[in-house]
Amino acid sequence: MARPVTVRLFGPAREAAGTSSLAWPVPAQGVRTRDLVAALARDHPRLAPTLRVSRFLVNGEVVGARARWVRPGDEFAVHPPYGGG
Amino acid sequence: MASIRLSRSPLSYQAAARELGGTALGGLVLFAGRVRPDPTARGRVVALDYDADRAPAIRRLREIADLARRRYGARRVVLWHRIGLVRAGEVSVIAGAACGHRREAFAAARFLIDELKASVPIWKTERARPARRRPRPPRPARGR
Repeated sequence: MARPVTVRLFGPAREAAGTSSLAWPVPAQGVRTRDLVAALARDHPRLAPTLRVSRFLVNGEVVGARARWVRPGDEFAVHPPYGGG
Repeated sequence: MASIRLSRSPLSYQAAARELGGTALGGLVLFAGRVRPDPTARGRVVALDYDADRAPAIRRLREIADLARRRYGARRVVLWHRIGLVRAGEVSVIAGAACGHRREAFAAARFLIDELKASVPIWKTERARPARRRPRPPRPARGR
């Protein structure tokens, strides 16, 4: 069985989901980032508004406008708008 | 030279000033941000819970320090941020720069804190405490 994707949630995303990390099962060939975001919003409706304003990173790299694939074992980070200081 | 820190321990303003030491540097500006006990719908803020995506945050803090060096000639930079629970009144962030003269030092320090807030993956969650209701004074007993 393929390893899951580790979804890391920060700040308001963590608060909305009630956890800082999710093990997300994906098929062996992977999943498109936009499909992963849509699935997260379906499974965690309280997270959906935050996902709409967040940026995403795959293994520490910001995912641009082009669709990317997330593979088993990858880390997928959800970054809501920043709020340090 | 840049001092970058994401810390669970209290930040010392004096220690930050020492990092900016160097007698040849004529302008030294140090900004400290504190947690305000603001009123909210859920009561008064008693603390902020800071969260960071550590590796990208450290990387971006280094980039900002490098930009301050190149744009404003900052010879020394301090960029420190607390992580975890920071109580109202405590320092949550310190941004400072030492330059040859005051004008560049003010500009560099302002750039550092503005860029940190806008582009470093750090988040805060308010922890509030509802105001206590005052107990009602007892009614005086009615005489017959």
